[in-house]
Amino acid sequence: MGTIDLRAAANENSIADLSSQVHQLPCCIRFDGPAQVSHYFKPKSIEVEIDGVKTEEAHFRGRKLQGAPISLPSGYSGFVLGQASNLNANGKRKAPSPTEENQCWEVKAKFDNLTYWNHDNLPSKDDTFMRSFHLFSIAEALHKPVKVEDLVAVSNGGKG
Amino acid sequence: MGSDCLTPEWASQPCLIGIDEAGRGPVLGPMVYGCMYCPISYQSSLASLHFADSKTLKEEKREELYENLKLDKSLGWAVDVIDPRELSAKMLAKNKTNLNEISHNSAMGLIKRVLDMGVLLTEAYLDTVGDPDKYRIKLSERFPSIKFVVSKKADSLFPVVSGASIVAKVTRDRALREWLVEETGEDINRNFGSGYPGDPETKAWLVQHKHSVFGFPSLARFSWGTCTAHLKGEVEVSWESDEADESGNSSKRQAKLSRFGFTTCESRSEEIESSGKGRCKFFQARKIQQLTQF
Repeated sequence: MGTIDLRAAANENSIADLSSQVHQLPCCIRFDGPAQVSHYFKPKSIEVEIDGVKTEEAHFRGRKLQGAPISLPSGYSGFVLGQASNLNANGKRKAPSPTEENQCWEVKAKFDNLTYWNHDNLPSKDDTFMRSFHLFSIAEALHKPVKVEDLVAVSNGGKG
Repeated sequence: MGSDCLTPEWASQPCLIGIDEAGRGPVLGPMVYGCMYCPISYQSSLASLHFADSKTLKEEKREELYENLKLDKSLGWAVDVIDPRELSAKMLAKNKTNLNEISHNSAMGLIKRVLDMGVLLTEAYLDTVGDPDKYRIKLSERFPSIKFVVSKKADSLFPVVSGASIVAKVTRDRALREWLVEETGEDINRNFGSGYPGDPETKAWLVQHKHSVFGFPSLARFSWGTCTAHLKGEVEVSWESDEADESGNSSKRQAKLSRFGFTTCESRSEEIESSGKGRCKFFQARKIQQLTQF
Protein backbone atom coordinates (compact mmCIF):
# COMPACT_ATOMS: atom_id res chain seq x y z
CA MET A 1 0.00 0.00 0.00
CA GLY A 2 1.38 3.40 -0.91
CA THR A 3 1.28 6.43 1.32
CA ILE A 4 0.74 10.07 0.50
CA ASP A 5 2.40 12.75 2.56
CA LEU A 6 0.13 15.81 2.54
CA ARG A 7 2.10 17.84 5.08
CA ALA A 8 3.54 20.22 2.49
CA ALA A 9 0.02 21.22 1.47
CA ALA A 10 -0.63 22.75 4.89
CA ASN A 11 1.92 25.47 4.26
CA GLU A 12 0.57 27.74 1.51
CA ASN A 13 3.99 29.01 0.49
CA SER A 14 5.92 25.79 0.32
CA ILE A 15 4.33 24.40 -2.85
CA ALA A 16 3.39 25.83 -6.23
CA ASP A 17 -0.21 26.85 -6.89
CA LEU A 18 -1.19 25.61 -10.35
CA SER A 19 -4.73 26.97 -10.28
CA SER A 20 -5.92 27.87 -13.82
CA GLN A 21 -2.99 25.96 -15.30
CA VAL A 22 -4.32 22.43 -15.06
CA HIS A 23 -5.99 20.98 -18.14
CA GLN A 24 -7.92 17.74 -18.37
CA LEU A 25 -7.64 16.65 -22.02
CA PRO A 26 -9.76 14.05 -23.83
CA CYS A 27 -6.70 12.14 -24.98
CA CYS A 28 -3.84 10.11 -23.69
CA ILE A 29 -0.40 11.73 -24.09
CA ARG A 30 2.27 9.11 -23.60
CA PHE A 31 4.73 11.51 -22.11
CA ASP A 32 5.68 12.47 -18.60
CA GLY A 33 7.73 15.58 -18.21
CA PRO A 34 7.87 19.31 -18.81
CA ALA A 35 6.51 20.79 -22.07
CA GLN A 36 6.11 24.33 -23.40
CA VAL A 37 2.39 24.39 -22.74
CA SER A 38 1.87 28.15 -22.73
CA HIS A 39 3.76 28.55 -26.04
CA TYR A 40 1.64 26.03 -27.91
CA PHE A 41 -1.66 25.58 -26.09
CA LYS A 42 -3.66 28.78 -26.58
CA PRO A 43 -7.21 28.62 -25.26
CA LYS A 44 -9.52 31.38 -26.50
CA SER A 45 -12.78 32.48 -24.98
CA ILE A 46 -15.79 31.83 -27.17
CA GLU A 47 -19.21 33.39 -26.83
CA VAL A 48 -20.96 30.19 -25.75
CA GLU A 49 -21.99 29.96 -22.13
CA ILE A 50 -23.00 26.78 -20.33
CA ASP A 51 -24.77 27.17 -16.99
CA GLY A 52 -23.40 30.70 -16.81
CA VAL A 53 -19.81 29.59 -17.43
CA LYS A 54 -17.90 31.01 -20.41
CA THR A 55 -16.48 28.24 -22.53
CA GLU A 56 -13.15 28.16 -24.32
CA GLU A 57 -11.76 26.75 -27.51
CA ALA A 58 -8.29 25.39 -28.18
CA HIS A 59 -6.47 23.11 -30.58
CA PHE A 60 -4.17 20.26 -29.77
CA ARG A 61 -2.50 18.09 -32.41
CA GLY A 62 -5.00 19.36 -34.97
CA ARG A 63 -8.09 18.51 -32.97
CA LYS A 64 -10.57 21.08 -31.81
CA LEU A 65 -11.17 21.12 -28.09
CA GLN A 66 -13.95 22.84 -26.24
CA GLY A 67 -13.48 23.47 -22.57
CA ALA A 68 -14.89 25.01 -19.44
CA PRO A 69 -13.24 26.05 -16.20
CA ILE A 70 -14.25 23.97 -13.21
CA SER A 71 -13.77 24.99 -9.61
CA LEU A 72 -13.23 22.24 -7.11
CA PRO A 73 -15.83 22.35 -4.32
CA SER A 74 -14.78 24.12 -1.17
CA GLY A 75 -13.06 21.79 1.21
CA TYR A 76 -11.38 19.96 -1.69
CA SER A 77 -8.09 20.58 -3.44
CA GLY A 78 -6.28 19.05 -6.32
CA PHE A 79 -2.73 17.90 -5.73
CA VAL A 80 0.17 17.06 -7.96
CA LEU A 81 2.02 14.19 -6.35
CA GLY A 82 5.59 13.14 -6.87
CA GLN A 83 7.85 10.47 -5.46
CA ALA A 84 8.87 11.43 -1.97
CA SER A 85 12.57 12.05 -1.58
CA ASN A 86 13.53 9.01 0.45
CA LEU A 87 15.61 10.72 3.07
CA ASN A 88 16.13 9.22 6.46
CA ALA A 89 16.50 11.13 9.71
CA ASN A 90 20.18 11.91 9.03
CA GLY A 91 19.37 13.44 5.67
CA LYS A 92 20.93 10.54 3.83
CA ARG A 93 19.24 8.83 0.96
CA LYS A 94 17.97 5.42 1.85
CA ALA A 95 18.86 2.58 -0.40
CA PRO A 96 15.92 2.02 -2.72
CA SER A 97 14.14 -1.14 -1.78
CA PRO A 98 14.15 -3.70 -4.58
CA THR A 99 10.40 -4.11 -4.41
CA GLU A 100 8.78 -0.67 -4.31
CA GLU A 101 5.91 -1.97 -2.22
CA ASN A 102 5.73 0.99 0.10
CA GLN A 103 5.74 3.82 -2.37
CA CYS A 104 5.78 7.20 -0.76
CA TRP A 105 4.23 10.17 -2.49
CA GLU A 106 4.38 13.77 -1.48
CA VAL A 107 2.57 16.91 -2.57
CA LYS A 108 4.51 18.91 -5.16
CA ALA A 109 1.82 21.40 -6.18
CA LYS A 110 -1.83 22.13 -5.64
CA PHE A 111 -4.77 23.55 -7.59
CA ASP A 112 -8.28 24.69 -6.81
CA ASN A 113 -9.63 24.68 -10.35
CA LEU A 114 -8.92 23.15 -13.72
CA THR A 115 -10.10 23.39 -17.30
CA TYR A 116 -12.02 20.41 -18.55
CA TRP A 117 -11.80 19.80 -22.32
CA ASN A 118 -13.89 17.75 -24.71
CA HIS A 119 -12.98 16.81 -28.27
CA ASP A 120 -15.42 18.70 -30.57
CA ASN A 121 -18.27 18.77 -28.05
CA LEU A 122 -18.99 21.42 -25.47
CA PRO A 123 -18.50 20.21 -21.91
CA SER A 124 -21.73 19.01 -20.39
CA LYS A 125 -23.11 18.08 -17.00
CA ASP A 126 -23.72 14.62 -18.41
CA ASP A 127 -20.05 13.91 -19.16
CA THR A 128 -18.56 11.16 -17.04
CA PHE A 129 -15.88 13.47 -15.72
CA MET A 130 -18.42 16.02 -14.52
CA ARG A 131 -20.62 13.28 -13.09
CA SER A 132 -17.74 11.95 -11.03
CA PHE A 133 -18.08 15.12 -8.96
CA HIS A 134 -21.36 13.70 -7.61
CA LEU A 135 -19.18 11.70 -5.27
CA PHE A 136 -18.48 14.84 -3.25
CA SER A 137 -22.06 15.26 -2.06
CA ILE A 138 -22.53 11.52 -1.60
CA ALA A 139 -19.38 11.35 0.51
CA GLU A 140 -20.51 14.30 2.56
CA ALA A 141 -23.88 12.72 3.27
CA LEU A 142 -22.29 9.40 4.15
CA HIS A 143 -19.77 10.85 6.56
CA LYS A 144 -21.88 13.54 8.18
CA PRO A 145 -22.42 12.75 11.89
CA VAL A 146 -26.01 11.79 12.56
CA LYS A 147 -27.80 14.21 14.89
CA VAL A 148 -30.62 13.35 17.26
CA GLU A 149 -33.01 15.57 15.26
CA ASP A 150 -32.30 13.54 12.09
CA LEU A 151 -33.22 10.33 13.88
CA VAL A 152 -36.39 11.88 15.19
CA ALA A 153 -37.29 13.10 11.69
CA VAL A 154 -36.79 9.63 10.26
CA SER A 155 -38.89 7.90 12.93
CA ASN A 156 -41.67 10.44 12.26
CA GLY A 157 -42.21 9.27 8.73
CA GLY A 158 -38.95 9.86 6.98
CA LYS A 159 -39.72 13.42 5.82
CA GLY A 160 -37.22 16.19 5.89
CA MET B 1 -13.90 39.14 -47.74
CA GLY B 2 -14.90 40.30 -51.20
CA SER B 3 -16.62 43.04 -53.17
CA ASP B 4 -19.81 42.18 -51.34
CA CYS B 5 -20.11 45.29 -49.17
CA LEU B 6 -22.19 46.82 -51.93
CA THR B 7 -24.71 45.13 -54.21
CA PRO B 8 -23.75 46.02 -57.80
CA GLU B 9 -26.16 47.93 -60.06
CA TRP B 10 -26.25 45.03 -62.50
CA ALA B 11 -27.26 42.49 -59.84
CA SER B 12 -30.76 42.05 -61.25
CA GLN B 13 -29.43 41.08 -64.68
CA PRO B 14 -28.80 37.37 -65.29
CA CYS B 15 -25.26 36.68 -64.06
CA LEU B 16 -22.67 33.94 -64.25
CA ILE B 17 -20.22 32.93 -61.55
CA GLY B 18 -16.91 31.07 -61.65
CA ILE B 19 -15.50 29.29 -58.62
CA ASP B 20 -12.01 27.93 -58.02
CA GLU B 21 -9.73 26.96 -55.18
CA ALA B 22 -6.11 27.55 -54.20
CA GLY B 23 -4.07 25.71 -51.61
CA ARG B 24 -5.86 22.38 -51.61
CA GLY B 25 -2.67 20.31 -51.62
CA PRO B 26 -0.31 22.23 -49.30
CA VAL B 27 0.49 20.95 -45.84
CA LEU B 28 0.83 24.53 -44.55
CA GLY B 29 -1.62 27.40 -44.40
CA PRO B 30 -5.23 27.97 -45.38
CA MET B 31 -7.20 26.65 -48.32
CA VAL B 32 -8.93 29.44 -50.19
CA TYR B 33 -12.04 29.31 -52.31
CA GLY B 34 -12.58 32.27 -54.60
CA CYS B 35 -15.37 33.30 -56.91
CA MET B 36 -15.86 35.91 -59.58
CA TYR B 37 -19.21 36.91 -61.03
CA CYS B 38 -20.55 39.32 -63.65
CA PRO B 39 -23.57 39.88 -65.90
CA ILE B 40 -23.80 37.39 -68.77
CA SER B 41 -23.83 40.39 -71.10
CA TYR B 42 -20.27 41.15 -69.93
CA GLN B 43 -19.02 37.65 -70.68
CA SER B 44 -17.56 38.52 -74.08
CA SER B 45 -15.41 41.26 -72.55
CA LEU B 46 -14.03 38.77 -69.99
CA ALA B 47 -11.91 37.10 -72.65
CA SER B 48 -10.15 40.38 -73.37
CA LEU B 49 -9.01 40.72 -69.71
CA HIS B 50 -6.42 37.97 -70.31
CA PHE B 51 -7.27 35.91 -67.28
CA ALA B 52 -5.62 32.53 -67.44
CA ASP B 53 -5.30 29.65 -65.05
CA SER B 54 -3.52 31.23 -62.08
CA LYS B 55 -0.95 28.43 -61.97
CA THR B 56 0.36 29.34 -65.42
CA LEU B 57 0.85 32.99 -64.46
CA LYS B 58 3.85 34.54 -62.75
CA GLU B 59 3.19 35.95 -59.30
CA GLU B 60 3.51 39.62 -60.37
CA LYS B 61 1.13 39.06 -63.26
CA ARG B 62 -1.41 37.46 -60.94
CA GLU B 63 -1.17 40.34 -58.50
CA GLU B 64 -1.64 42.81 -61.35
CA LEU B 65 -4.68 41.00 -62.75
CA TYR B 66 -6.14 40.77 -59.24
CA GLU B 67 -5.80 44.51 -58.68
CA ASN B 68 -7.37 45.14 -62.11
CA LEU B 69 -10.37 42.92 -61.54
CA LYS B 70 -11.00 44.54 -58.16
CA LEU B 71 -11.28 47.90 -59.92
CA ASP B 72 -13.57 46.57 -62.66
CA LYS B 73 -17.09 47.81 -61.84
CA SER B 74 -18.68 45.02 -63.88
CA LEU B 75 -17.05 42.27 -61.83
CA GLY B 76 -17.80 41.04 -58.35
CA TRP B 77 -15.68 38.67 -56.30
CA ALA B 78 -15.57 36.95 -52.92
CA VAL B 79 -13.30 34.55 -51.05
CA ASP B 80 -13.67 31.96 -48.33
CA VAL B 81 -10.44 31.42 -46.39
CA ILE B 82 -10.44 28.09 -44.58
CA ASP B 83 -7.97 28.18 -41.72
CA PRO B 84 -5.57 25.21 -41.40
CA ARG B 85 -6.85 24.78 -37.83
CA GLU B 86 -10.36 24.39 -39.22
CA LEU B 87 -9.20 21.96 -41.92
CA SER B 88 -7.37 19.80 -39.37
CA ALA B 89 -10.21 19.97 -36.86
CA LYS B 90 -12.84 18.93 -39.41
CA MET B 91 -10.78 16.14 -40.90
CA LEU B 92 -9.84 14.83 -37.44
CA ALA B 93 -13.23 15.43 -35.83
CA LYS B 94 -15.25 12.73 -34.10
CA ASN B 95 -17.48 12.86 -37.18
CA LYS B 96 -14.88 13.36 -39.85
CA THR B 97 -15.46 15.57 -42.89
CA ASN B 98 -13.20 14.81 -45.84
CA LEU B 99 -11.50 17.46 -47.91
CA ASN B 100 -13.89 17.05 -50.86
CA GLU B 101 -16.86 17.72 -48.65
CA ILE B 102 -15.16 20.75 -47.08
CA SER B 103 -14.48 21.99 -50.62
CA HIS B 104 -18.06 21.45 -51.75
CA ASN B 105 -19.40 23.25 -48.70
CA SER B 106 -17.07 26.19 -49.25
CA ALA B 107 -18.13 26.56 -52.91
CA MET B 108 -21.80 26.35 -51.98
CA GLY B 109 -21.23 28.89 -49.21
CA LEU B 110 -19.83 31.34 -51.77
CA ILE B 111 -22.80 30.84 -54.10
CA LYS B 112 -25.20 31.39 -51.22
CA ARG B 113 -23.37 34.53 -50.16
CA VAL B 114 -23.61 36.03 -53.66
CA LEU B 115 -27.28 35.05 -54.02
CA ASP B 116 -28.04 36.58 -50.61
CA MET B 117 -26.58 39.87 -51.86
CA GLY B 118 -29.33 39.89 -54.43
CA VAL B 119 -27.27 38.89 -57.47
CA LEU B 120 -29.33 36.98 -60.01
CA LEU B 121 -27.07 33.98 -60.68
CA THR B 122 -28.23 31.80 -63.57
CA GLU B 123 -25.01 30.00 -64.57
CA ALA B 124 -22.13 28.66 -62.50
CA TYR B 125 -18.79 27.22 -63.65
CA LEU B 126 -16.64 25.12 -61.33
CA ASP B 127 -13.53 23.03 -61.43
CA THR B 128 -14.53 19.58 -60.31
CA VAL B 129 -13.79 18.13 -56.91
CA GLY B 130 -14.38 14.39 -56.98
CA ASP B 131 -16.69 13.00 -59.64
CA PRO B 132 -17.98 15.85 -61.88
CA ASP B 133 -21.46 14.39 -62.41
CA LYS B 134 -22.08 13.72 -58.75
CA TYR B 135 -20.82 17.18 -57.85
CA ARG B 136 -23.05 18.82 -60.48
CA ILE B 137 -26.11 16.94 -59.19
CA LYS B 138 -25.33 17.95 -55.61
CA LEU B 139 -25.03 21.60 -56.64
CA SER B 140 -28.18 21.54 -58.78
CA GLU B 141 -30.21 20.06 -55.95
CA ARG B 142 -29.06 22.78 -53.61
CA PHE B 143 -29.52 25.64 -56.10
CA PRO B 144 -32.21 24.54 -58.60
CA SER B 145 -32.41 27.94 -60.31
CA ILE B 146 -28.76 27.84 -61.46
CA LYS B 147 -27.37 25.96 -64.44
CA PHE B 148 -24.11 24.28 -63.37
CA VAL B 149 -21.12 23.39 -65.50
CA VAL B 150 -18.66 21.21 -63.59
CA SER B 151 -15.56 20.05 -65.38
CA LYS B 152 -11.91 19.23 -65.07
CA LYS B 153 -9.55 22.10 -65.88
CA ALA B 154 -12.44 24.59 -65.74
CA ASP B 155 -9.85 27.17 -64.70
CA SER B 156 -8.25 27.07 -68.14
CA LEU B 157 -11.50 26.54 -70.09
CA PHE B 158 -13.66 29.35 -68.74
CA PRO B 159 -12.32 32.90 -68.24
CA VAL B 160 -14.75 33.45 -65.34
CA VAL B 161 -13.15 30.49 -63.52
CA SER B 162 -9.66 31.75 -64.42
CA GLY B 163 -10.61 35.02 -62.73
CA ALA B 164 -11.81 33.14 -59.67
CA SER B 165 -8.57 31.15 -59.59
CA ILE B 166 -6.55 34.38 -59.56
CA VAL B 167 -8.63 35.74 -56.69
CA ALA B 168 -8.14 32.50 -54.75
CA LYS B 169 -4.44 32.12 -55.47
CA VAL B 170 -3.50 35.72 -54.64
CA THR B 171 -5.51 35.53 -51.41
CA ARG B 172 -3.91 32.23 -50.44
CA ASP B 173 -0.36 33.50 -51.13
CA ARG B 174 -0.95 36.67 -49.14
CA ALA B 175 -2.54 34.75 -46.27
CA LEU B 176 0.51 32.50 -45.99
CA ARG B 177 2.93 35.41 -46.35
CA GLU B 178 1.17 37.42 -43.66
CA TRP B 179 0.35 34.45 -41.44
CA LEU B 180 0.23 35.42 -37.78
CA VAL B 181 2.06 32.66 -35.98
CA GLU B 182 0.06 31.95 -32.86
CA GLU B 183 2.72 29.92 -31.10
CA THR B 184 5.26 31.90 -29.12
CA GLY B 185 8.29 29.63 -28.97
CA GLU B 186 11.43 31.60 -29.75
CA ASP B 187 12.62 29.25 -32.50
CA ILE B 188 9.73 29.82 -34.90
CA ASN B 189 10.66 31.28 -38.29
CA ARG B 190 8.57 32.29 -41.29
CA ASN B 191 10.38 30.49 -44.09
CA PHE B 192 7.28 28.49 -44.98
CA GLY B 193 8.07 28.14 -48.67
CA SER B 194 5.02 27.50 -50.82
CA GLY B 195 3.49 25.17 -48.27
CA TYR B 196 3.47 22.23 -50.70
CA PRO B 197 4.83 19.00 -49.19
CA GLY B 198 7.40 18.67 -52.01
CA ASP B 199 8.84 22.17 -51.61
CA PRO B 200 12.35 21.89 -50.01
CA GLU B 201 11.77 25.06 -47.98
CA THR B 202 8.47 23.71 -46.64
CA LYS B 203 10.13 20.38 -45.86
CA ALA B 204 12.88 22.15 -43.93
CA TRP B 205 10.32 24.24 -42.03
CA LEU B 206 8.43 21.12 -40.98
CA VAL B 207 11.62 19.48 -39.73
CA GLN B 208 12.67 22.60 -37.81
CA HIS B 209 9.26 23.15 -36.23
CA LYS B 210 8.41 19.65 -35.20
CA HIS B 211 7.58 19.48 -31.50
CA SER B 212 7.60 16.15 -29.72
CA VAL B 213 4.48 16.86 -27.68
CA PHE B 214 2.51 19.48 -29.63
CA GLY B 215 3.37 18.25 -33.10
CA PHE B 216 3.58 21.46 -35.12
CA PRO B 217 2.45 25.06 -34.89
CA SER B 218 -1.18 25.41 -35.96
CA LEU B 219 -0.18 26.60 -39.44
CA ALA B 220 0.31 22.93 -40.30
CA ARG B 221 -2.51 20.67 -41.42
CA PHE B 222 -2.27 17.83 -38.94
CA SER B 223 -4.63 15.70 -41.00
CA TRP B 224 -2.09 15.52 -43.87
CA GLY B 225 -0.08 12.36 -44.33
CA THR B 226 3.06 14.51 -44.42
CA CYS B 227 2.43 15.57 -40.82
CA THR B 228 1.55 12.14 -39.51
CA ALA B 229 4.69 10.73 -41.12
CA HIS B 230 6.80 13.38 -39.38
CA LEU B 231 5.22 12.66 -36.02
CA LYS B 232 5.88 8.95 -36.08
CA GLY B 233 8.31 8.28 -33.30
CA GLU B 234 7.36 11.45 -31.40
CA VAL B 235 5.21 11.39 -28.29
CA GLU B 236 2.20 9.20 -28.98
CA VAL B 237 -1.19 10.79 -28.43
CA SER B 238 -4.30 8.64 -28.60
CA TRP B 239 -7.86 9.87 -28.80
CA GLU B 240 -11.08 8.29 -27.73
CA SER B 241 -12.65 9.01 -31.11
CA ASP B 242 -9.87 7.10 -32.89
CA GLU B 243 -10.09 4.18 -30.53
CA ALA B 244 -13.81 3.95 -31.26
CA ASP B 245 -13.03 3.76 -34.97
CA GLU B 246 -11.06 0.59 -34.52
CA SER B 247 -13.46 -2.24 -34.10
CA GLY B 248 -12.85 -4.92 -31.52
CA ASN B 249 -11.76 -3.98 -28.05
CA SER B 250 -12.74 -0.34 -28.55
CA SER B 251 -15.13 0.02 -25.64
CA LYS B 252 -12.61 -1.28 -23.17
CA ARG B 253 -9.89 1.06 -24.38
CA GLN B 254 -12.30 3.95 -24.28
CA ALA B 255 -13.24 3.27 -20.69
CA LYS B 256 -9.59 3.21 -19.79
CA LEU B 257 -8.83 6.52 -21.47
CA SER B 258 -11.54 8.47 -19.74
CA ARG B 259 -10.71 7.23 -16.30
CA PHE B 260 -10.54 10.09 -13.88
CA GLY B 261 -7.25 11.85 -14.20
CA PHE B 262 -5.01 8.91 -14.89
CA THR B 263 -4.29 8.96 -18.56
CA THR B 264 -0.98 7.18 -18.62
CA CYS B 265 -2.64 3.93 -19.65
CA GLU B 266 -0.56 1.57 -17.56
CA SER B 267 -1.31 -2.06 -18.14
CA ARG B 268 -1.96 -2.44 -14.45
CA SER B 269 -5.25 -0.59 -14.86
CA GLU B 270 -6.75 -3.69 -16.45
CA GLU B 271 -7.33 -5.34 -13.13
CA ILE B 272 -8.93 -2.33 -11.49
CA GLU B 273 -11.22 -1.37 -14.35
CA SER B 274 -14.05 0.69 -12.95
CA SER B 275 -16.60 -1.27 -14.91
CA GLY B 276 -15.72 -4.41 -12.92
CA LYS B 277 -18.56 -6.73 -12.02
CA GLY B 278 -20.14 -6.28 -8.63
CA ARG B 279 -19.37 -2.60 -8.33
CA CYS B 280 -22.18 -0.28 -7.43
CA LYS B 281 -23.78 1.25 -10.53
CA PHE B 282 -23.18 4.73 -9.18
CA PHE B 283 -19.42 4.19 -9.41
CA GLN B 284 -19.53 2.28 -12.68
CA ALA B 285 -21.47 5.01 -14.44
CA ARG B 286 -19.06 7.67 -13.23
CA LYS B 287 -15.94 5.60 -13.73
CA ILE B 288 -14.90 6.15 -10.15
CA GLN B 289 -12.65 3.64 -8.54
CA GLN B 290 -10.64 3.28 -5.41
CA LEU B 291 -6.91 3.19 -5.92
CA THR B 292 -4.65 1.76 -3.29
CA GLN B 293 -1.59 1.95 -5.45
CA PHE B 294 -0.57 3.93 -8.49
